Amino acid sequence: MATVINDTEHVEVKATLDNQRWLMAPELFTEMTGWTLKADGLCRGDICAPLYQPDAVTANGMIDLAGAAPLMGMTAVIDIDREIAAVTTSASARSDEMTSLQAPDFTLENMSGDPVSLHDFDRRKVLLFAWSSW
Amino acid sequence: MWQQLQEEFAPQGLKIIAVAIDNDVEAVREWAATAPDLTVLIDRYFVVAERFGIVNVPATVWIDEDGRIVRPADTAMGDDRFRAFAHIDSAVHHDHLRAWVTTNQRDLNDAQVAEHMVLPTADVQQARLHQRLAVFLHDRGDEDGMNEHLATAQALAPHDWVIRRGSMPMQGKDPFGMPFFEFVQEWNEAGSPGYTLQTGREGTIGL
Repeated sequence: MATVINDTEHVEVKATLDNQRWLMAPELFTEMTGWTLKADGLCRGDICAPLYQPDAVTANGMIDLAGAAPLMGMTAVIDIDREIAAVTTSASARSDEMTSLQAPDFTLENMSGDPVSLHDFDRRKVLLFAWSSW
Repeated sequence: MWQQLQEEFAPQGLKIIAVAIDNDVEAVREWAATAPDLTVLIDRYFVVAERFGIVNVPATVWIDEDGRIVRPADTAMGDDRFRAFAHIDSAVHHDHLRAWVTTNQRDLNDAQVAEHMVLPTADVQQARLHQRLAVFLHDRGDEDGMNEHLATAQALAPHDWVIRRGSMPMQGKDPFGMPFFEFVQEWNEAGSPGYTLQTGREGTIGL
């Protein structure tokens, strides 16, 4: 199994790692991302992103993670040899979200290991203080 | 100081969430014990840095009751312990905070907040992903893999403190040692990229 790091989650996925490409079966890709390959393109709900460069997105009926990422507003880095990939929001999608001034949600663990989300503090003023021991 | 600020503003409903962009869970635990009223979260994969465009720590982001960002990521010191190096008067941030919490008075309007956001480039987003892969490989005991991805991350985002300095501990480098001072010099020479607000700034970073 290969591993995809999606924010704080590590998802074990079945992927074909071939010739520097990270290829996934369509149903597994949909399970992981929520996006489905259709005749119109790569779709989620009512939104479809047309495949301008179909060869970058699909190969032998499989979906290429790095090629499909931009269509989903994502960006990916893959390390084929180590069978790991990381995905996050693309620079343009993140920039749009940041300049909208709507705070993006996130979920992290507290010191007891319990998940805590920003939205747990809705209707309050929040000071997010980012720090480190380094 | 953050504990004191949380105590001071608890009656107005302010919540301080302290996110440790850090891999050293024990160090975070020690710090958390000194700030019992804060919600302390651990961010081993630098997720919050990516979400809010945080290029250095310590930094704050202010979010209002409607989930709107009313102050973008900006360096903020709890106290003046590092004033000789950072050249920041920490009280300036806290005075702005006091005004916002007690009277809703903001020091920046929406247009200014958007203007001072540190937006990522495609290279910076890729660098962040390489850094995440490095953390994962570090956990797996693959030091070669970690170093390979960190070298790529640093080449893609040479002036991002979270990527440069934040990767030093997992590489066994002293984040207060020579590699750090070399980075600061490089960053100053590049015109201090990523620092847009610099609230309370009194001079150039460095001794």
